Amino acid sequence: MRLPDPITFILLVSCVLFLGCSSESKSEKSTNEVILGKVELANGWARPAAKGQTSSIYLVITNGTASRDTLLGASSPISDVVELHQSIQHDDGTISMEQAGNQVIAAGEKLNLEPGGYHLMLKNINRELTVGDSLSVTLNFARVGSKTITVLTKTQQN
Amino acid sequence: MKNTAIKLLIAFSTAIILASCNSGPEPLYDLSDTSYPLRNIDSSRVYFPDDFEGEISVISFIFTHCPDVCPAITANMSNIQRGLKDTTDIQFIEISFDPQRDTPSVLKAYKKRYKLNDQFTFLTGQPETVDSLLKKMEIVAVKTFSDSLVQDSSNYNMRHSNTIYLMDKNGRIRAEYPASVIPPEHVIEDIQSLRNL
Repeated sequence: MRLPDPITFILLVSCVLFLGCSSESKSEKSTNEVILGKVELANGWARPAAKGQTSSIYLVITNGTASRDTLLGASSPISDVVELHQSIQHDDGTISMEQAGNQVIAAGEKLNLEPGGYHLMLKNINRELTVGDSLSVTLNFARVGSKTITVLTKTQQN
Repeated sequence: MKNTAIKLLIAFSTAIILASCNSGPEPLYDLSDTSYPLRNIDSSRVYFPDDFEGEISVISFIFTHCPDVCPAITANMSNIQRGLKDTTDIQFIEISFDPQRDTPSVLKAYKKRYKLNDQFTFLTGQPETVDSLLKKMEIVAVKTFSDSLVQDSSNYNMRHSNTIYLMDKNGRIRAEYPASVIPPEHVIEDIQSLRNL
C-alpha cells in the first residue's frame, strides 16, 4: 500500500481536526466546556389556583454568558407537567394559547415570561396555591444545565 | 324674516346637540329587550341585565381554567375598581363562557382566590342560555384541544374574546375595550361620562 506524501497527509489531518471542531460547535454543550458568566432567573411569581387546576409562572431569564443558550423545559414538585406556553392574539381579536417550542436566548439577551405572552404552565397542580404560598421551579438549559428559582404566589396588580 | 330663519336654525341645531349629549353615543348592543336567567356564586337566580338596571356595569368574560389571560382580565377589572374615587352604583360582572366547568361553587372559589368584594358578581348558567347571551354580545368562545386526536370532553382550553364592556343603567352596552390590556383610567373616564348623562 502506498502512503500519501507528507503534504497530502497534513491536509487530511487538518480536515479531520476541522470537522471535529465544527461538529462540537453545533452541539451547545460539551462535557468539559468552561462557561463564562451565568444565566439568571429573576422577578418570578405564580398565579393562585385550586388543587387540580392550572397555574402559571412568570419570570425574567437573563443569559449573562458569552454564548447563546436554549431553554429546553421545566419541572416543579407541584406538577407533573410544566410546559412553556404562549398566549397569542389573533387578527379577529380573540386570544388562544399554544405550547411554545424550545427558546433560544442569545448571549446577553433576556427572555421575558409575562402575562399575555410566554409563561410556564403548571397543569393539574397537586396542592392549592393561595396568595403568599411559595413553590420552586427548575428550568433546564442546553448549555448551563438546570437552574432553580423559588417564586411567591400573588395576584396581578397591573 | 332672514333673522328669524337664522334664529330658528340655531335653536334647532342647539336642540339636536343637547339631545345627543343627553343620550350619549349610540349603544353598541341593546340588551334591554331580553333577560337571561343566569346563576350567581350562591346558585341563586340572576336575571341579566334586568337585575343590574339603575347601575353602571363593567362586564368581562372569563373561564377559570384559563391560566394566563383571564386572570389578567380579572386583575384589570380590580384595577378599574381601585382607580374609581366613588364606586357607588357601579357593578363589576364577570360572566363565564365555560359553564360546563365553571359551576357556581367554582366561581365562588375563584372570587375568593382573587380577594374580590361584593361589588363583583360572577355569573354562569345553562350552556344554551350562556351561548345565547354570548351570541347577542358577539363574544367568541371556542374550545381548543392540544391534541386534535384526543378530544377529552373535560380537558380543553379556549380561544376567546378579550373584551370588557361598559353597560349603562338601562342595559345598553356603550363602550368596548381590550380587556387584559386597557389602561384602567380609560374605562374610569368613560364611567364618569356615563354618570353625567
